[in-house]
Amino acid sequence: MSNSTTVSNETIWAGGRSPFNVSYGKLMMWIFLLSDAFTFSSLLVGYGAIRFSYAGSSTPWPDPANVFNHFPFAHGLHLPLLFVSLMTFILIFSSVTMVLAVEAGHRKSNAEVSKYMILTIIGGAAFLGCQAWEWSQFIHEGGRLDSNMFGLTEAGLKKAESLSFGSHYEWLAADRGPGPVPFASLFFIVTGFHGFHVLSGVVLNIIVWLNVIGGTYIRRGHYEMVEKVGLYWHFVDLVWVFVFTFYYLI
Amino acid sequence: MSSSHHTHTEGEYIPETYVPHSESHGTKSLWRTFWILLAITLVDFVIYFIADPSLFRNIVFIAFGIVKAILIVGIFMHLNYEAKFLRYMIVLPAIVFLSYLVWLLMVEGNYVSLVKYFQ
Repeated sequence: MSNSTTVSNETIWAGGRSPFNVSYGKLMMWIFLLSDAFTFSSLLVGYGAIRFSYAGSSTPWPDPANVFNHFPFAHGLHLPLLFVSLMTFILIFSSVTMVLAVEAGHRKSNAEVSKYMILTIIGGAAFLGCQAWEWSQFIHEGGRLDSNMFGLTEAGLKKAESLSFGSHYEWLAADRGPGPVPFASLFFIVTGFHGFHVLSGVVLNIIVWLNVIGGTYIRRGHYEMVEKVGLYWHFVDLVWVFVFTFYYLI
Repeated sequence: MSSSHHTHTEGEYIPETYVPHSESHGTKSLWRTFWILLAITLVDFVIYFIADPSLFRNIVFIAFGIVKAILIVGIFMHLNYEAKFLRYMIVLPAIVFLSYLVWLLMVEGNYVSLVKYFQ
């Protein structure tokens, strides 16, 4: 390892060694993730441009605090941001257990890799459960791919201003009306695309975990496959950071 | 472990099967990163309720998002410890294309709004 830092740039590219000092599979995973980062940023930039274009509109972009304000078992309470913060915590924590699995793999401790992989899979499943609940609330209140009922009338705006964290509220039919359609369709597309990545990550994690308990990586002599699915899993967490920022905070 | 396949020695580099030897850096920096990420998320949460929406608040949220991204990519995805050219290959295209896309977002979004509502 130490020789890679001492050789000059000319020798690095002279052949006979990996200039990136990384395996073929991991290099390809990095390039895939770079392209996937462009996909997600295109979605978020499209979202941003459309949201910008509603500045000055008679049907303004809904305030996320008045849409995503639910929490399980707290019906009728105004609790914006709380549930997505919990989802963020779940995803960050599953990222830690993933990276601990990678670290255990470096020490070739099969039992620990298996334990941390299970925790990561549970975290991913919990996140997906939360997202399903979030979607069902959104659809229940009138969010559709081609319409949204989160626009506020004057009475609704007055009611929204009087709400504070934890206060009781109830939206009446007269408070709400049609709002910008892209608000709802982009919510389904962006969180759906991210959620599909989480789902694929959970499936990949389960496959690698089955390999771990089957002893595949003991026979292979290294746990690089755990590192590769780990890269994918952290990327999913990375995307969520920006979905959280642009969809819920701003 | 068959050392001929998995460790790098001069003269027998096979690109398809080469896997560099990896070592644990311990779990201390991983847990520290976790606590920092959690703290930033909590600060986000607090700012959301104590500050009214403004351009400055949005800039703070985006800056915190970028700090979180750097921590996740650098520590969790291990890019800080990778070879120099791998770091460049991943980070430089991302910075170049993303700045372009964000510039496009602001120009085009503003333009559509101007044309639609401020004639």
